[in-house]
Amino acid sequence: MQNIVKRIIAAAFWLLVWQALAMIVHNKVLLAGPAETVATLGRLMGDNSFWQSVASTTGRILAGFVAGSALGIVFGYLSYINEIVRELLRPLVLALKSVPVASFVILLLIWFGNRNISVIIVAMVVFPILYTNTLEGLVSTDKKLLEMARVFRMPREREIRYIFLPGLLPFWQGAFKLAIGMSFKSGIAAEVIGQPLGTIGNGLYQAKIYLETGELFAWTIVTVLVAFICERVVLFLLVLPSKK
Amino acid sequence: MTIEIKDVCKSFDGRQVLKDFSLNIEEEHSYIITGPSGCGKTTLLRLILRLEEPDAGHVKLLGDYKYPFINSGTVFQEDRLCDSFDAVTNVTMVNRRVYRENAISELKNLLSEDELHKPVRELSGGQRRRVAIARALAVPSDILIMDEPFTGLDEASRRNAISFIREKQGTRPLVITTHDTSGLEFGRIIDMGID
Repeated sequence: MQNIVKRIIAAAFWLLVWQALAMIVHNKVLLAGPAETVATLGRLMGDNSFWQSVASTTGRILAGFVAGSALGIVFGYLSYINEIVRELLRPLVLALKSVPVASFVILLLIWFGNRNISVIIVAMVVFPILYTNTLEGLVSTDKKLLEMARVFRMPREREIRYIFLPGLLPFWQGAFKLAIGMSFKSGIAAEVIGQPLGTIGNGLYQAKIYLETGELFAWTIVTVLVAFICERVVLFLLVLPSKK
Repeated sequence: MTIEIKDVCKSFDGRQVLKDFSLNIEEEHSYIITGPSGCGKTTLLRLILRLEEPDAGHVKLLGDYKYPFINSGTVFQEDRLCDSFDAVTNVTMVNRRVYRENAISELKNLLSEDELHKPVRELSGGQRRRVAIARALAVPSDILIMDEPFTGLDEASRRNAISFIREKQGTRPLVITTHDTSGLEFGRIIDMGID
């Protein structure tokens, strides 16, 4: 309870700072205040196309997130059991981690057009995060427990359920938390560059063209909220098996 | 089924822990391996389990045994339990043929009812040791191999554990390593500290 109060006070403090800055700047184009942002958000929420944009962007980002996570986990496991796969993937993972998202976006725009660009970009951003954490989690599994499983001829699916998963969960919790945040950042950045119609990225781009700072902030708040909800849902799903 | 251990030598980092060691392990017999720390007791058990290979000599399964590795109910030197699961799950998880009811009935011989359903990380060292013993005895196996199974047990628990092991042994060979042979006189005592 005390923590919630502290968080509310901290949020209120920064809202006040934002409001004070908006009053000092006194220019809606340069900095829209919280009141104006909330009003703009209310106006946008009354429009069907707003909800379609949110659903379209969220759906694509989640599709990329699921694909990237699944590939990261599968290849993380394959790298754990096979040294050749690990060595083959090392340069690819390094490239995916270090090459700027914008470079990939432009290349993918040329190859595939803009419709599903955020799906591919998000998958490319999420893959190395889940791959690295899955591999690290598997490598750090207690070798003595694995030896116990071998001696008792423990069935493979039980070995995964009782030995690998408890060790992997802390790695996955950190990885999924990071990955979901990165998914929204990179997915919307890809939409801003690629301009698919009826998306949050397109909404942000329109706000920029028409110098609508209030709209820019409103879309940003929506993005943060959707990312937060998705993060909570993903983390809840992750701890669900261990609660059974 | 007989396990033939013949002229086995084993070294680690240039230090010889077993030299020309021989022993035949036969059904219905118990072997109490004793000796000072570092004399090769655990190494001998690991060789029987094929977790190590000998530098010289051999460990062979004689008779018409169908598997390359012995199917063993094992207590390791460390408990090797899955900390976040309770005692019952730790016993059932290792083998599909160990059902929850069987596990509870086995565990009740060594632990009190309220200790069965706590995550094993919340149990004391002695309680965890008893879970490890119950797990070894609950799984269907062809041999019982126990490395210092009574570590951390008080005298009463030790006596109780020994009597439970004897009761569950059946015709299976039993190999126990220990520093303290009291109460284990039913088996053939092999002192590895004596050349």
